Amino acid sequence: MALAEHAAGMNLRQFLPRMSAGIWSLSGFTFLWFIGIVVPLIGILLFSFLQTKGIKVQWDLTIKAYEKLFFYGGGPLIGRTIRIAATMTVIELLFAFPFALWLAKGAKNQNLKLITFTLLTVPFFLSPVARVIVWRSVMSVQGLVNTALLDIGIVSEPVEWLIFSEFAVHLGYLGQYFPAMVWPIFLSIALIDDEYLEASKDLGASRFRTLVHVILPLSLPGIVAGIIFSFVPMLGDTVVPQQMGGGNVMMISHNVYTMIGAANFVMAAALSAIILAIMLAFQVVLWAALRPVGGINNVFASLHR
Amino acid sequence: MTVLAEQTKYIGAAPRQLTLAQRIAERWPAWGSIFIGYFVLLIIYFPILWLMILSVSSEPLTGFAGDWTLRWYDDMLYGTGQREGEAYAVNSRVFDPLLLSLKLAFITAALCMVASLLIGPILPRVRFRGPLLLGYLMPLMVPGIVASVSLFLFYRLGLHWKMGEWSLGLAHFVWAFPFALLAMLVVSSRFDTRLLEAAADLGASPWRRFWDIQVPILKPGIFAAGFFGFLLSFNELPFSIFMRAGDITLPIYLWIQSGAHNSSVPLIFALSTLITIASIVLTFIAIKVAFGEKTVTVKKIRTA
Repeated sequence: MALAEHAAGMNLRQFLPRMSAGIWSLSGFTFLWFIGIVVPLIGILLFSFLQTKGIKVQWDLTIKAYEKLFFYGGGPLIGRTIRIAATMTVIELLFAFPFALWLAKGAKNQNLKLITFTLLTVPFFLSPVARVIVWRSVMSVQGLVNTALLDIGIVSEPVEWLIFSEFAVHLGYLGQYFPAMVWPIFLSIALIDDEYLEASKDLGASRFRTLVHVILPLSLPGIVAGIIFSFVPMLGDTVVPQQMGGGNVMMISHNVYTMIGAANFVMAAALSAIILAIMLAFQVVLWAALRPVGGINNVFASLHR
Repeated sequence: MTVLAEQTKYIGAAPRQLTLAQRIAERWPAWGSIFIGYFVLLIIYFPILWLMILSVSSEPLTGFAGDWTLRWYDDMLYGTGQREGEAYAVNSRVFDPLLLSLKLAFITAALCMVASLLIGPILPRVRFRGPLLLGYLMPLMVPGIVASVSLFLFYRLGLHWKMGEWSLGLAHFVWAFPFALLAMLVVSSRFDTRLLEAAADLGASPWRRFWDIQVPILKPGIFAAGFFGFLLSFNELPFSIFMRAGDITLPIYLWIQSGAHNSSVPLIFALSTLITIASIVLTFIAIKVAFGEKTVTVKKIRTA
């Protein structure tokens, strides 16, 4: 048991029975998890270079899937998906960071904070369809918003781009992923000791300098986590593009679904593999950026406080 | 980048007398960020509340509320709705997915509780905890649809296993476990291992140490893992899309129905409203258990 020897800070001889039971379950579970989950996730990179006949896999390496994918407009599709997800990630970050900063260090009213936390938690557990389906009837040509705009006289004829447009997809994403951006940033800012901020002030730093040189670096793990937790699911969202884009805004999820439905497994794999490769590269860069503040192990340290 | 005037206490300039205009100029970044935050919360909650209101309106598809009726609930429950001679037989079409979703949610919750109890206490204390945690959290870092397709291709085309309820359960577990594990780690990484040392000194067997010390202290984490498992499984969509044979879970039913640009959508409003209310109630219970029990347990231990 290699892992048992590495168990840190424990008197091994005394705890050998418990540790070994724990280590056994940890290694057993980890083995199953990596074989059953991590290997398939990485395996799609390999699979995209194969060909299939029905559900039989032919084990010859080829790049035919990628050629077909780009021939049939895969480039613009991937570009559009990444553009929309990236735009909304930046907007979410700009909206969420000041709000999280206020929640963590500014807000004094405990009840207001508690209500806000609850409001930020509940959406995680609601059905994504239930959360956006109403926009379709509210924003339609004869819907609530258009009628109101016409009545007030802001527009003379119904606004058509309110739904089934890129605007609508952006709007859908805004609500859907805001809590996922706020939470990690809030947690990382809340963990910053007030004494650091006091010290920065005592040393004569302006509030702006404190923000840039103290708060921002220390909350970087939260910002990175927030970016990952909103950008990643946005890329693969099935509900918002379908409900808000309504066929006018094609994103990868719909195409993957259609390809699998048409038993075009390899092209679906190629499309997924491109997204996966981009994601992995993106995350390597992000985690590398975290190295100066302790990387992933920092998660445990911050949980411990 | 915005600076918060709220922080004057910590970071601000020396105290001085301010005119009203100066105070407004000083505080607007704070008010601006607060306004934006609650504005987005409004964008999140408006559709949810409006959904509930529309579900008791007679013409929900127009987006206008009014002319209150419980007809859509009636249609959904009994499938007896008659509309211009059309017969709706949605009864079993709604309840079969509901039962399947409940079954999967309970199984996922149980698996999450057991797995996070096995992994949670030990993970913070091993050397490769960072890479291991990354491995466990991988489903969070890959878009759902990509992960779902990967698992489908691996099991169906790679291993030639037939999809079915087992694969739906697996998919839901894969999705929910990272969250359950994180919830457990919040509790377990604060766990004081000296309690186990003390128990061992007093002659407690490993099993007793596990059952009488670890499990009670980690109870909030176990409950939280269970709730995460249940709720995340119950509303899970992207993973379920491919990891199923012909099975239809409730979110899949809603997704298919809402994708159809036609008139059966009003029933979805009623159904979504019920699911949403149930989810909100469960979330409140979960929050209460996760944050309420912790103090109780600590008190019990202190007095014991």
